[in-house]
Amino acid sequence: MSLTIKVEKISKTYQVPEREGGFGAAFRSFFKRKYKDVKAVQEVSFEIAQGEIVGFLGPNGAGKTTTLKMLSGLLHPTGGTAKVLGFTPWELKQEYLRSMTLVMGQRNRLSWDIPAADSFLLNQAIYRIPDEQYKQTYKELDELLELEPLMKKPVRNLSLGERMKCEIAVGLLHRPKVLFLDEPTIGLDITGQARIREFLREYNKRTGATILLTSHYMADVTALCERIIIIHHGQLKYDGGINDLSRRIAPFKLIGVLLAGSNSHDLSQYGTPVQNEEDAAKHYIQVKAEDVTKVTSRMLSDLPIHDITIADPPIEDVIERAFNE
Amino acid sequence: MHTFKLLSAFFKVNVQMALAYRADTIVNILLNIMWLGWELLSLSIIFSNTTTLGGWGLGELIALLGVFRLVNTMMIALIWPNTEKFNQSIRDGSMDYTILQPVNSLFLVTFSRITVWRIWDLALAIILIVVGVNMTGDSTTPLQILTFILLAISGTVVIYSLWIVLISLTFWFTKFDNNVTILHALLDSGRYPVTVYPAWLRIIVTFVIPIAVATTIPLQALRGDLNIQQIATFFMVAVVSFIVASQVWKRGLKQYSGASS
Amino acid sequence: MLKIFQRLWQVNWAEQWQYRANLLMYLLYWLVSPIIYLAVWTSIANAKGDVNGFTANDFITYYMTLLIVDQITSNIVIHTFGYKIQDGSLSGELIRPIHPMLTNALVNNIAFKALTIMGLIPVWIVLFFLFKPDFSHVALNGILVAAPVMILGFFISYLLSAAITSLAFWTTRVYSIHEFYFALILLFSGQFVPLTLMPKLVQDIAQYLPFQLFIYFPIQVILGKLSAAQITQGYVMAGVWLVLALVLFNWIWRNGVKRYSAVGA
Repeated sequence: MSLTIKVEKISKTYQVPEREGGFGAAFRSFFKRKYKDVKAVQEVSFEIAQGEIVGFLGPNGAGKTTTLKMLSGLLHPTGGTAKVLGFTPWELKQEYLRSMTLVMGQRNRLSWDIPAADSFLLNQAIYRIPDEQYKQTYKELDELLELEPLMKKPVRNLSLGERMKCEIAVGLLHRPKVLFLDEPTIGLDITGQARIREFLREYNKRTGATILLTSHYMADVTALCERIIIIHHGQLKYDGGINDLSRRIAPFKLIGVLLAGSNSHDLSQYGTPVQNEEDAAKHYIQVKAEDVTKVTSRMLSDLPIHDITIADPPIEDVIERAFNE
Repeated sequence: MHTFKLLSAFFKVNVQMALAYRADTIVNILLNIMWLGWELLSLSIIFSNTTTLGGWGLGELIALLGVFRLVNTMMIALIWPNTEKFNQSIRDGSMDYTILQPVNSLFLVTFSRITVWRIWDLALAIILIVVGVNMTGDSTTPLQILTFILLAISGTVVIYSLWIVLISLTFWFTKFDNNVTILHALLDSGRYPVTVYPAWLRIIVTFVIPIAVATTIPLQALRGDLNIQQIATFFMVAVVSFIVASQVWKRGLKQYSGASS
Repeated sequence: MLKIFQRLWQVNWAEQWQYRANLLMYLLYWLVSPIIYLAVWTSIANAKGDVNGFTANDFITYYMTLLIVDQITSNIVIHTFGYKIQDGSLSGELIRPIHPMLTNALVNNIAFKALTIMGLIPVWIVLFFLFKPDFSHVALNGILVAAPVMILGFFISYLLSAAITSLAFWTTRVYSIHEFYFALILLFSGQFVPLTLMPKLVQDIAQYLPFQLFIYFPIQVILGKLSAAQITQGYVMAGVWLVLALVLFNWIWRNGVKRYSAVGA
């Protein structure tokens, strides 16, 4: 399989003007500006093959949007190289721009006051899509996203979910080979999110497009991506499968017990007690994976247990832990 | 060619937007007629008190008003709405989308908004020019008309280039929302012949913000007052200013994407 | 109450100071038209000697005075307030125990005015040296007598513009209506040229409108061109128009707020 995206030691350092408060500092800064280096991205490297769906995770300010912007060509890195589909993105060659797409969940591309259909036709002209191909692509997108009822309404009259569907659709009219999606499901309700995820999965299956997406929602990532890349403080913290992640970073198990009789048992001798709002009746403790058998047998003999469960910790906790390293 | 297809696509989109606000469009047309009435009224007040202004008579001033409206319309139909869109796109980040589209960004920034109802203003302007020239009693040769068209376009290009430089400055000075106010402010100076202004003001509206020049010079060409050197010089000024402006724009984009050299 | 205005002043002044670069641009924009008219009319006066009794210097002193008078009597309420009615941000101000238009918006305008006048002073001095007006016949008491009527003029102008801005409760086309209103001011206030040079019909109609109180009347008082009787008449007009403007504004505003609350933001 060919490498669609190849990133080597890419870095982005910003120079931010720095100034203390107070009148004296304000006066001085008029004559001499002090700058601080902010290392948004530090020597990140990874490779993505054609057809992969990769999730980019990280807290706000981690550097994932900056990396995405460099890969789409919006930003020039301060160090390192990257090649997408054989092109250097920030050279913004027309051929490159025609084969990729960037969809940002928090920024609108469609014209607010006119029906989506007209924005679509405008994009057809911009991307020089021949009529036959346009009709075909539209038909496929309509099938997957149910666009037709939305097309004639002015965009400002669409709900957030409907608008997101159109924003994604308009980005795919030119059948790009690489999709960069920045928070595509932000603000959507559960059904809305699920529908977008279904669509992306189906689209990837049908077209073999490579998808790189950032998200705050773990559900996006667990549902779509077999591979995730975690970026924190500008550095690559993890690059691999989801299951390997929990095993590597948080080799813990969660033991939940339902105890008979009164609830005042102190379980801290067995493991780290953990709060679980969803299931208040049970007590949960966190235990190292290798200690599970030992702890479980101790608990079973010491305590009046009605019910016991052993599970992997939720992915959110795993990633939380990864971020705090 | 693709450019033509793209232009007509933009045109269609803007017609749609105008139709979405039908009543506003009608009101705008009415206001435009009102302002034309005011401009003619003020000219008649001036000429009820004098026979010449800056060496030019009433007919010439009416023709000048026509040239002014011609250049002005080409600017207003494009410059104001696109400045608003440009400022907005920098504020909300949708400039990113503009950069990533496989079309020259300058083209997109110039034509994505077109105030379509202003087209009739062009017709009005030409009527004013024809009426004004008739009043002076001068005759015009086809050559004069051609050089007039050439220099009217050149004048528009000069002002357009100035606009590009002004909005490009926003890439460096982000809180620069008022980037084109100075252009808008000095616009009115194009209504009257340059000879009316005191020397220092004349220099400003000729060299710094060359508005009076964009209107006066094409009219002089129409009257056959210019020689071939002057025509060629003004045309070259337009070409050079466009080249400079596109370079400034390119630099500005590089600044925006953090590619400081 | 005084405390409220004090605080409003602090907040608005600080806000306007932040936008001082924008303010300077606006100032420039405002100055250009009078300077252009000045150039046009003085060139005519220089060629002919005088225009209906106005010498070149008469024009220069007229427009130079206009630059200052216009800054004092003008208002920007349509720009600072119009959008609030349209996008619903008025709601926050309506539930406060002070009148939105007569407190915050008013102080905002005044802070803006103070800053632009500050910016105007150095520019005016430069223009003074460039145009060399002869103000020798202007006496201090002319300025003193004109001061109250300029303040009255500002309040009339403010209330009328506020009344028009309040039409936003009923229509989205309030900016166009205001543009038409602005054209009326241009025609009847003496901003283009001293009123006595306008066609007779315009002068007659202008007598019944308040617009000359914004520009023409104060300028003539400052330049010492009016008799005591004429000045008194002007003041009476100003008083009458202030009451009319207040009544008109109040009526439109009250009905507008009723509609706003009934319809919902």
